[in-house]
Amino acid sequence: MSKKTKHVLVLIAVNVFFILVCFFVLVPVLYAFSVSLNAENSLLGSDFSFLPKHMTLQNYKAVFTEKPVLLWLKNSLILAVSTLVISLGTGIPAAYAFSRKRFPGRKAILKLLILLYAFPSLLSMTALYKLLSPMGLINTRTGLIIVYTGTMAVFALWNMKGYFDTIPVEIEEAAMIDGATQLEQVTKIVLPLAKPTIAVTAMMVLVYVWNEYIFAINFMTGSDTYTLAAGLYSLQATEMSGSWPIFSAASLIVSLPILIVFFALQKNMTEGLTSGGVKG
Amino acid sequence: MARMKNAHGNRQQNKKRRETLFAYSWSLPSLVLILLIVIFPILYTGYISMTNMNIYHWNNYEFIGLENYKDALLVFDNGFLTALFVTILWTVVNMVLQLVIAFIMATLLNVKGLRLRNVYRTLLIFPWAMPGYVSILLWKTGMFNSQFGLLNQWMIRLGMEPVRWLGSDVIAFISCTTVNLWLALPFMITIIDGALQSVDRSFYESALLDGATWLERTRYITVPMIRPIIAPSVMITTFTTFKQFDVIYLLTQQVGSKTGANIHTILTYAYEKAFITNNYGYSSAISILIFGMLLVFSLVTNGRKEERR
Repeated sequence: MSKKTKHVLVLIAVNVFFILVCFFVLVPVLYAFSVSLNAENSLLGSDFSFLPKHMTLQNYKAVFTEKPVLLWLKNSLILAVSTLVISLGTGIPAAYAFSRKRFPGRKAILKLLILLYAFPSLLSMTALYKLLSPMGLINTRTGLIIVYTGTMAVFALWNMKGYFDTIPVEIEEAAMIDGATQLEQVTKIVLPLAKPTIAVTAMMVLVYVWNEYIFAINFMTGSDTYTLAAGLYSLQATEMSGSWPIFSAASLIVSLPILIVFFALQKNMTEGLTSGGVKG
Repeated sequence: MARMKNAHGNRQQNKKRRETLFAYSWSLPSLVLILLIVIFPILYTGYISMTNMNIYHWNNYEFIGLENYKDALLVFDNGFLTALFVTILWTVVNMVLQLVIAFIMATLLNVKGLRLRNVYRTLLIFPWAMPGYVSILLWKTGMFNSQFGLLNQWMIRLGMEPVRWLGSDVIAFISCTTVNLWLALPFMITIIDGALQSVDRSFYESALLDGATWLERTRYITVPMIRPIIAPSVMITTFTTFKQFDVIYLLTQQVGSKTGANIHTILTYAYEKAFITNNYGYSSAISILIFGMLLVFSLVTNGRKEERR
């Protein structure tokens, strides 16, 4: 066998391998997709196929008409935007100060932040509950916003500081000589240059709030105060009562924005995460 | 002359003071936020861990010293030590499988002449793009469900008995590992794939001339070359695997729909003690122990990083 035919055979084998792997990787999602489009309730039948014989959008309609999804969406959006505004509003100036200024306590605080970054907020859930409940903040959006901002504040500060470090100081010094004030240096020069990291940090905050379910189900008691994630969680908990097709439709609807964001920002995402501040 | 030096020193000091003032005033809101919402609750958790706070003693709890820590570390039947063992096993198994599988996949993606490689890359990355908890729930109902799950449909079609995939410890551990790999591999493949592309081709050419086999090339060129590049990501993934909560909780232990398997990682253990059996004092002690372990880990890894520089 010549070297060339051998290489062709290897290529065919590799392609077959990847086609199989890709199929198995996508199966859970494809299956949910096909169930969500299936008109007959053929789940229990053994003649299930990936392409439903009778397609319907009934399940998607049911998600919006039978479940309070729009209300959950509203709650999620309010939480996400509030968390975003607070954590970026406080995080950007702090990240700038930690990146540009040298002051006593800086190193110690940065070290402390790394350690805090390792701490899963899940572990202080009891304490947070105990602290928020006398203030009447359990079962309110404010309570969840407080929890989420705390979790994201460390990340936002640390991640953006890492990026600011890579922007050359000389540009600001030149601006300073031209008579720009500190505030002008930041708003006119640093912020435009830092757009990628701000976008990635903002995206991570939004995705976090969009996906967070464990605080939401424990701190929110009524289903009308649920976020999308908590609502979806409550939908699957009743999966046995036969709403699996509706659940899969809802899952895909909830995932869609995240998928779009991910693939739109894929390059930034991987770069922002691997070259950003997380590395230390 | 001396006066001039003094004036200069004063100006320096003034500048320094102004910088400090500026830095603290700009970072104050963020630092206060972190202090109040992150640090204070951790300290408070430490305090709760030394009380007998539980559902009956929600407000009238008493200080009991290190009793909860003793219960966790010295009474084997309480389950913390088992959970810790399972967590370590879970981390090791998952990291080894992840590295090996990701390395093989990334190597195959870089086979010369593979035209569709970008298509495969995009498809393989898909699980990373899905919201994690949605994927886990889809796996639970879509794949593992013992009545209408796809896996059992396939089993029946192949003439085999249906299996309760989450019904007992060992098989649930395997199922959870599968889902965790499904979730985590895209990131690892991306990282290793990127690292492989940065290896200089000429190393391989000279090794080929020397007659090195694929295994030798991998061992003596590829692995040493990509190790420093992937190390930070591997560290981070080890942390996330150790702290994994969603996979095991959502698949096997949701309130009201436990599947029968009784595998706990330390995080699901802490959660169960707090929000299901409502033993807040004990659970807080577990939290502090976990925090302690994570602190030691990150101090060790950060210390190493600084040495390398």
